[in-house]
Amino acid sequence: MRNILLAAVLTIPLSAGCGNREVQTEEPGTKESVQPEDSVIVAMGTTSEPESGFDPAYGWGAGEHVHEPLIQSTLTVTTTDLTIAYDLATDMQVSDDGMTWTVTIRDDVKFTDGEALTSEDVVFTYHTVKENSTVNDFTMLKEAVAIDEKTVEFRMEKPYSIWPYSMAVVGIVPEHAYGPDYAEKPIGSGRYIMKQWDKGQQIIFEANPDYYGDEPKMKRVTVLFMDEDAAYAAAMAGQVDLAYTSASYSDQTIDGYQLLAYETVDNRGINLPAAPASSDSDGNPIGNDLTNDVLVRRAINIGIDREEMIANVLNGYGTAAYSVCDKMPWYNDAAQVSYDPEGAAALLDEAGWKMGPAGIRERDGVRAELTILYSSGDSVRQALAADTQNQLKELGIDAVIEGVGWDTAYTRALSQPLMWGWGAHTPMELYNIYHTLDGGTAEYSPYSNPEVDKYMDAALAATDLHTSYDLWKKAQWDGETGFIQDGDIPWIWLCNIDHLYWANENLKVADQKLHPHGHGWSIVNNVDQWEWN
Amino acid sequence: MKRVNGRMAAVLWLGIAVVFLTAVTLFGWRVAESALMTDFSRKNLPPNGAYFFGTDWMGRDMFVRTVTGLSMSIRIGLLSAGVSSVLALFLGILAAIMGKTVDSVITWMIDLVMGIPHILLLILISYACGKGFRGVVVGVALTHWTSLARLIRGEVLQLKEALYVRTAQKLGVSRWEIAWKHMLPHLFPQFLVGLILMFPHAILHEASITFLGFGLSPEQPAIGIILSESMKYLAMGRWWLALFPGLFLVFTVSLFDMGGESLRKLLAPGSTHR
Repeated sequence: MRNILLAAVLTIPLSAGCGNREVQTEEPGTKESVQPEDSVIVAMGTTSEPESGFDPAYGWGAGEHVHEPLIQSTLTVTTTDLTIAYDLATDMQVSDDGMTWTVTIRDDVKFTDGEALTSEDVVFTYHTVKENSTVNDFTMLKEAVAIDEKTVEFRMEKPYSIWPYSMAVVGIVPEHAYGPDYAEKPIGSGRYIMKQWDKGQQIIFEANPDYYGDEPKMKRVTVLFMDEDAAYAAAMAGQVDLAYTSASYSDQTIDGYQLLAYETVDNRGINLPAAPASSDSDGNPIGNDLTNDVLVRRAINIGIDREEMIANVLNGYGTAAYSVCDKMPWYNDAAQVSYDPEGAAALLDEAGWKMGPAGIRERDGVRAELTILYSSGDSVRQALAADTQNQLKELGIDAVIEGVGWDTAYTRALSQPLMWGWGAHTPMELYNIYHTLDGGTAEYSPYSNPEVDKYMDAALAATDLHTSYDLWKKAQWDGETGFIQDGDIPWIWLCNIDHLYWANENLKVADQKLHPHGHGWSIVNNVDQWEWN
Repeated sequence: MKRVNGRMAAVLWLGIAVVFLTAVTLFGWRVAESALMTDFSRKNLPPNGAYFFGTDWMGRDMFVRTVTGLSMSIRIGLLSAGVSSVLALFLGILAAIMGKTVDSVITWMIDLVMGIPHILLLILISYACGKGFRGVVVGVALTHWTSLARLIRGEVLQLKEALYVRTAQKLGVSRWEIAWKHMLPHLFPQFLVGLILMFPHAILHEASITFLGFGLSPEQPAIGIILSESMKYLAMGRWWLALFPGLFLVFTVSLFDMGGESLRKLLAPGSTHR
């Protein structure tokens, strides 16, 4: 009995650990033994497989990890410098009060079932998303109205200057062919048709022969879903043309493959609760007496050596981050700071945190202590947290790290720093992180500054995108107040993580725009322009 | 030279087991702090003179981490096996002496817990208790008592028919007093062996549940965590991350097993002549 149990226990971890490898032992992708010149096999992480299918209303292309929906067309697109260009749209006007957006669309677009795409489909899509979407917040949209075959009017509840960025993530679905099974059998007007989806394994796309834009060069795209080690093994076996990987594999080499690194705005950073310690009505702690002191927060921001962190944890594959939106058109470069340990020590001294025994600072008999939380499944965040811990020790702050699940992380982050990952192709992210909610503080970490709120409200009310970029920048820092080093600095941004891929040496991957948060579908945004040498 | 007989070998094995396990537990406890320490200047080193088991991707000393992990496993094992076996003893005796209804309720509970795969129940309980040290201990304690309880119940049922117990009954001694004075001393060897043989289960279950991510937090130096992390690096040729901790886990568990077996031999009445 005992031995049977022992054996059972020992095999459980083994079978759990190897489960994902089964995927790659089967012949991935196509049945052809030789890859045709115009097809490509891409390996992505298992979490990239769209859980709720290819319905834009349920997260395809939108939400936390934005990317171009491939199957569907969008009204606008974001360009390589993250400004706005047109896809379906041919013109876009906003009324002076910012309450009405008028968009005209192309009249030569057909869905892949042969039906024409009209303004009615656009209206239907936006109403569906507004009513059903779990990932898009469309409360600012009152209604969409089809004025004629090719003109749509969006009537807003309140001015929303960054509406073009919202339009860039909503794939247009056909009203006549939209039903409960749409997510599994999507019909769109985009560059590709979803041909086959073997859940848990692969998705096969084929080029849309009637596409209205430039003809896709890659006729067939196969996306496989596998864990990092399986993707690495698949690349070693030559079974995939492009495989995602991470910094921990970057010192390896694979014959016939090169390591591609793309800069991103996929940042990592910690929140420093800017409120004194107390607790909410449920007894959950809120605020933190150490990080409530702005001098301490400033000291941490300049006391962290971002370059050392990138070299240590990311093997050099990353860039220093100073804001949640580095290199975006709405980024204020005043946020940049340089590493200054003496300055940090002086700030801590000024704040009354004097160096005590064992190299840990104290104030009024209280030791400077922090718990840095990280999501327990993420080894990169764990290593970043550990490196932050080491660097804080040098400043005289005794930090410990603790892995937590996302079920408790949000609540615990209200009183302790959490290792976050952000980075989106819309300035709305600044609003989500720094703007005060009705409860009197920002959503993810206690912080509130009415001046900052005012600028962001004004940015949303602006009628022209360029004016709004300036207002977003002023929210970050207007010369007197804001949330950068000289301001309130309630979040410390550490690094932007390069997205790494093993790519077949002969595969020419088209230029990428800065990838947002999420190491998944972004890479195939322009797969139609990839080529083989 | 005198031949080593079975009894002496048993004593020897028991001694080795006790000394090794105590040493690992105490040493691991002492170096627990440095097992958490990361140092990126020494990451991914293969085994060498300074770091016997090499270092991992955050530059943590795998030897210290392994020993601390085992020490923690042993402590978790002791605590949960202890709680579990006391529970088993109590319920086993209760089932046997308290009459039909109590007996059928307890037997039903034993069947119920035994009917669900250990690891599932363990994950469920650990998750409900908020994972971490407490989750694992409560989970292991609440799932491992059944077979010992059943054993003790059978033993007590047998004892109830013994002449001296029946005499005591006739003399009007209360049920509790009989259980305490006349039965417990008789049950003690079974209890002790059962307790020790429960350790390896407890340790392995702690490792598996942590491996699966439902136990301790991943910065903790637990054997299950070390092994699950090492999986990722095997493809990169970092064999030392899995090999040594795995070997040590097997070694520790086998030692407990052998220690328990030796003790059983020593306590068994017939063994004096071997």
